[in-house]
Amino acid sequence: MEKHFKKITKFYSARKRLPSYREMMDIFGYKSTNAVYRLVEKFVEAQYLHKDERGKLSLGKRFNSLKVLGSITAGFPSPAEEELIDTISLDEFLIGNRDATYMLTVSGDSMIDAGIHPGDIVLVERGRTPKPGDIVVAEIDSGWTIKFFRKSGSMVYLEPANKKYKPIYPENELNITAVATAVIRKYKSV
Amino acid sequence: MNGAPLLSIRSFPRAIIHIDGDAFFASCEQSRNPALRGKPVITGAERGIASSMSYEAKAKGVTRAMRLSEIKKICPDAVILPSDYETYSLLSRRFFNIVRRYTSEVDEYGIDECFADITGLQRPMHMDYERIAEKIKSDLDKELGFTFSVGLAPNKSLAKIGSKWKKPSGLTAIPGRDIQKYLQTLPIEKVWGIGPQTSAYLKKYNINTALQFACQKESWVKNYLSKPFYEIWQELNGHFVFPLQLEAKTDYASIQKVRTFTPPSKDRSFVFAQLSKNIENACIKARRYNLAAEEFYIFLKTQDFHYYGLNLKLNRKTNIPVEIITAVEKIFDNIYSPQTLYRATGVTLSKLGPHVLQPDLFGSFIKIEKFQKIYSGVDAAAEKHGKHTLFLGSSFKAHVLPQHAADRGDQTARKKILLKGETVRKRLNIPMFTGSVK
Repeated sequence: MEKHFKKITKFYSARKRLPSYREMMDIFGYKSTNAVYRLVEKFVEAQYLHKDERGKLSLGKRFNSLKVLGSITAGFPSPAEEELIDTISLDEFLIGNRDATYMLTVSGDSMIDAGIHPGDIVLVERGRTPKPGDIVVAEIDSGWTIKFFRKSGSMVYLEPANKKYKPIYPENELNITAVATAVIRKYKSV
Repeated sequence: MNGAPLLSIRSFPRAIIHIDGDAFFASCEQSRNPALRGKPVITGAERGIASSMSYEAKAKGVTRAMRLSEIKKICPDAVILPSDYETYSLLSRRFFNIVRRYTSEVDEYGIDECFADITGLQRPMHMDYERIAEKIKSDLDKELGFTFSVGLAPNKSLAKIGSKWKKPSGLTAIPGRDIQKYLQTLPIEKVWGIGPQTSAYLKKYNINTALQFACQKESWVKNYLSKPFYEIWQELNGHFVFPLQLEAKTDYASIQKVRTFTPPSKDRSFVFAQLSKNIENACIKARRYNLAAEEFYIFLKTQDFHYYGLNLKLNRKTNIPVEIITAVEKIFDNIYSPQTLYRATGVTLSKLGPHVLQPDLFGSFIKIEKFQKIYSGVDAAAEKHGKHTLFLGSSFKAHVLPQHAADRGDQTARKKILLKGETVRKRLNIPMFTGSVK
C-alpha cells in the first residue's frame, strides 16, 4: 500500500493537489473507478487520506508523518517498519567501519583450526590497531598472510592455526595491515 | 605594484582544505597488493598510454599519457596494469565518506581530489585547523592504505597550491600572513585556472609569478582580464570567492563517453558498434539523471591520434539511443574511411535539459512514448541484472568482442575472481586485497 501511496505523494508534490478518482485510474493503471475507490478506502483507513461527509478527499493525518523518518526511506513508516528500526542488516552486522573494510579470499589451510578454510572470504578492517589474539592480515614476503596476532613479553609474532605450520617471528618489523572482523563462506550462489 | 592587500588577512577567515590522492590509481593498485609496493606501477594498459603512475615510475621519468612502448624503454621493470575503474571508484567514494566524517561541506572535484570547508571546527574538535587537516589525512592514509597530500588555506585556489606544494604525503598550511611566501616562487601558469593562453598574455606584462600577479592593482586586473581571472586574483590575495560545490553531481553540462579499443580496427561494423555502445552508455547516464540532449558530437580517433568528428542536432531533446544512432548511421561515412585504423570512438551529449515529452503534429509522439516504455524496461533489467543486460543490435560487436583483444588474459586482478553469487556484471562492492594470500 505504501508503494501505491507513494504515487499519490509524487502527484501531490508535482501538482500541489490530490488526484481525482479518474486521474488515479491512470496513475494505478486501473480499468474502473471502483477499483480506485477500494484503494482510496484503504488509504483513508490508514489515515493517509481524509474523506469528509461529502466524500471529498483531503490530506490525512499521516500524509506528512513520513517526514519524521526522512524522505530517504522512500515510503511511509507502517507500524511494522517502526518496529524494524531497531534491527540491523546483514551488512551492518558483518561490517563495522565500512570505509575501512576490505575482503580477501583465503588460499591455504594455515588457519584451518580457527575455522578459516581455503576459499573463504575474510572481511578485514584496515588501519585498526591489533590486540593479541586477533586474527590479522600482515604483509610478509610481498604477499598477504592471515594469522593470529600474538605477543609474548615485548615480542610480537604471528601464529598459524594448524600444527603443520610454524609461528612467524618477524626479523625486523611486523607489518600488520588489517584486522579480521568476519569470515564468510557461501555454499550456494543464491 | 603594491603588496598591501596580501597582508590584510592574518590566518584563516575561512579554512578550506584541498586533498589530493597521491598517484591515485597506481596507489589503489599498490595498496591492495604488497608485491607492487616499491615498484614502478603504471595503470592504463588497456589504453596503450599511462593514465597514472606510482612515484617509483615518476622517478624513472614516466609521465602521464606516455605511450607504453616508450615506458618499456625508459623503465624496463615497469608493472603495467589495466585500469580497474570499479575499484578506483569504490575507493574514491570512501575517500569522500571519510572527509565527510569531519564536515558535510565537501566538494568532490575529481575522482582523486576534493575540497572541504572546515571553518569553525576548531572549537568543537578542540584542535587548530592544521591538526584537523592532519587528522583527516591520517584517517585517509590509514584506512585507504596509501597517502594523500593536503593544502589548508583561506580559499580554494590557495588550498590547491598548498596540496601541490609538498607531494607525496605533504600537508601545507598557508595562513593569510604567509601567502606571499608561497606565491613568490610559483610560476603563474601553475595557478589553478590560469591556462597557457592567459599565462602567455600575462608574461607580456612581465607577470611571471603568482605573486607578481597578486600584486597587480585591482583596476589593472579588472581592465585587462575577464571576470574569472579577477576572481583568481582576489583569491590569491586571500579572499574567499569560489564557493564549494556541495551537491553530488546530478546536473551535467554535457555527458561524454569515450572508449579505446585494441588492436586498432578498420572494420566499419566494429568501429560503428563501438560508437553505438558509447551512445548507449551516454544515454544510460542521461536517463539516470532524467536528462535529455539536443546536440551530439561524435568522433573517431585514428591510430595516429587524429580526431574526425561531426556535430549533429535533433529537433528535440532525447535520451533514447535508437534515435541518436539512426541519425548517426546516416552521417557515419562522412567521418569514417575504410583505409584508416581507428583506436577509439566517442560521443558527447550537450544542450542537456530535463526530459519532457511533447506531443507533436506528426504522431512521432506515440513512437517515442513506446521507446520510453521499452527503455524504462531496459533500465529496470540493468538495475536487476547488471548494466547492458539488454543492448542494441548495432552495438553487438562491441559487446561480444573483448574491448582489448591483445590482453584477453590481462583482465584486472579483481575481475579474474568471481565469488559465489557474483556475476561477471555484478560484483561485491567491497574492495579486495589481491596478490598472493598465504
